[in-house]
Amino acid sequence: MADQPRIDEAGENPLAELELILESDPLIDEVGFIHPTQLASLNEEGTDGPGPKNLRFWSRDRKLGISTEVILPLYREAKRAFFDAVRDYKMRCSSCSGGEDEGTGSDVMKHGKALLLVSSDFGTAWNSRKLVASKEESFSTYMDELRLSELILSYSPKSDQAWSHRRWVIKRIAGQTSSLLEIVMKESELVEKIAERSKMNYRAWNHRCWLVSYMTREQVLDELKKSKTWTGLHVADSSSFNYRRRLLTGILEDLCCKEGVASLDCSFEVRHCWKDELDWDEILIKRYVGREALWLYRRFLSLCWIRHFTTHAHSTSCNSNYIAEQTTDPSFFLDKELDLVSSCLAVQDDHFDDFQAQALYSSSYILWLAKQMPSPLEIELRQKLTARNMNDLLSEFCPNSSFLCGSSAEDAEGTQAAQGQL
Amino acid sequence: MGELAGDKHVKYILCVEKKKDSFESVVMEHLRLNGAYWGLTTLDLLGKLDTVDSNEVVSWILQCQHESGGFGGNIGHDPHLLYTLSAVQVLALFDKLDVLDLNKVTDYIRSLQNEDGSFSGDVWGEVDTRFSYCAICCLAILKRLDLINVEKAVRYIVSCKTLDGGFGCTPGAESHAGQIFCCVGALAITGSLHHVDKDLLGWWLCERQVKSGGLNGRPEKLADVCYSWWVLSSLIMIDRVHWIDKEKLIKFILDCQDTENGGISDRPDDAVDVFHTYFGVAGLSLLEYPGVKAIDPAYALPVDVVNRIFFGRC
Repeated sequence: MADQPRIDEAGENPLAELELILESDPLIDEVGFIHPTQLASLNEEGTDGPGPKNLRFWSRDRKLGISTEVILPLYREAKRAFFDAVRDYKMRCSSCSGGEDEGTGSDVMKHGKALLLVSSDFGTAWNSRKLVASKEESFSTYMDELRLSELILSYSPKSDQAWSHRRWVIKRIAGQTSSLLEIVMKESELVEKIAERSKMNYRAWNHRCWLVSYMTREQVLDELKKSKTWTGLHVADSSSFNYRRRLLTGILEDLCCKEGVASLDCSFEVRHCWKDELDWDEILIKRYVGREALWLYRRFLSLCWIRHFTTHAHSTSCNSNYIAEQTTDPSFFLDKELDLVSSCLAVQDDHFDDFQAQALYSSSYILWLAKQMPSPLEIELRQKLTARNMNDLLSEFCPNSSFLCGSSAEDAEGTQAAQGQL
Repeated sequence: MGELAGDKHVKYILCVEKKKDSFESVVMEHLRLNGAYWGLTTLDLLGKLDTVDSNEVVSWILQCQHESGGFGGNIGHDPHLLYTLSAVQVLALFDKLDVLDLNKVTDYIRSLQNEDGSFSGDVWGEVDTRFSYCAICCLAILKRLDLINVEKAVRYIVSCKTLDGGFGCTPGAESHAGQIFCCVGALAITGSLHHVDKDLLGWWLCERQVKSGGLNGRPEKLADVCYSWWVLSSLIMIDRVHWIDKEKLIKFILDCQDTENGGISDRPDDAVDVFHTYFGVAGLSLLEYPGVKAIDPAYALPVDVVNRIFFGRC
């Protein structure tokens, strides 16, 4: 490890320079790495820049550019300064045994921030920030941490550590702030913003799912409504459908916990919600041909529908209007699904992969559903498939169907037994 | 079809270890112990572990250990279960588990189990099924599974099961092939595979194979060599590996090799790295490719190493 601060050719210490920029503009919200030639032309453009000779950094309008050439010396210097600061801080903490004189962790924070800007998953730097923040216990420090994590995510949107840091902060402040709901909604918006630039980002969407447990029922319903447009425009982002799955499951669980008259009204509302979702997914399936995410989402919607809204068809005392009737009859539901699948199996043009994909996904959708449904319904579905002459088509488009559907002798026996009862 | 350029990959791994000044290797410094596990396991699978000085590696690993018993990703870095598992696995490769102060390591792991059976990755409390796997795999290798509440640990993993039969990082999270490996692996090690709906999960896993023959980790994603390991090992543990086209997958992995300078990348013609080199070779091992030692799908260690731990010398 280097003992002396590294001085580059221009005689400047890149770490000190970066920290000066960060201090003078604490609201920088985006960082990127730029090739030196590009950096030079950026610096020529503006007359009020940090100086014509600066070939390492560029900063304006809350954006920060770092030359790719400076990353390596910057990393080394930041790491050295950071580890020194942590050692000093821990020494001071242990010698003052919790008194007020233990000193601030400002150096740890300052150098840790610079280090994370060039190495976003440097876990020890995130941990030391947690240590300092938890000793300070101030709301504004926690807010600063959320801001830093957002800055890191602007160039490293998949950083596991940056997302985890946000959850740690939110858990710390959850009990002591009245603005938690507001923070949670802002977090949700942040995920959407980042998901726009970073597709199918598991860590980002997982963070959004985690937020659901902090939401009220009204917020959950509101989120379902608000995120619909985004999801409809990003139909290949399977993770955003999982978010809807999480929201809908939350609503369903909430319903199952409640009892009495109120829950019947609720159940009517939830059913409505579910029906809307099924209809919307069908519209998307027809509009965006051959999207796997839409069909997998439909597996979830349909299976839950069958499990929760068709089994108690005659036991609910909801206003028995037309909607309630058509939505609780499983046979009616299966017919509608078979109509949809049939229309997708009529491949319009062999040369387009999208239509082939649509045929494959729709076949495996109906076969998957058949296997997951309660036995009597499975038998009904298989009879319908035979009556519609669909079996050959299904095995043509879904070549794996033979082992996926009839993989164990046990299942076949079960089906026979069930048929015997009928 | 091309062949596995085993010797080139060995050279590549040995050479990466020496290149400490590139930006790529510098930003990986904080997880060097993971890197050591990927590189050294690959060498062992290719029968070349003896090209490395084991004493040097072991003494470096011990310097990564903290007073708490956990291991950091490198000297001076904070401890975490992710690195603790790599440390134990590498020591197992070299048959050097006896250098460990057993109580110290196992106390660290035990201290991270939460009331609901889940595991935090470190003292800062992030919970993830990946950490459940790390803890369970470590303790099993050290034969101290009895120190934790296995029943609760299993119950937590099962609570992360999704409607499609897969598993996510926490309850309600999306299925992900990497998390599925962790959960199925942990259930396999604890003898709890009866909690898995094998046909349903097998269906989801074999839908990960795309036209090129490669596997992706989630719907709508591109194929990536690393899923050759995560998907395949899971399929083997639940006895459904015959549901995918093995020949096409072998071809996909071989197409991702840099046949000139060694190493394997995520997809054909991309830049190679140690991570994908390990997962490519480990995938080929699961596919019984000639010249590669067999790997255990649950412990992610060569089968002879696992046999030595459980059935070897007293």
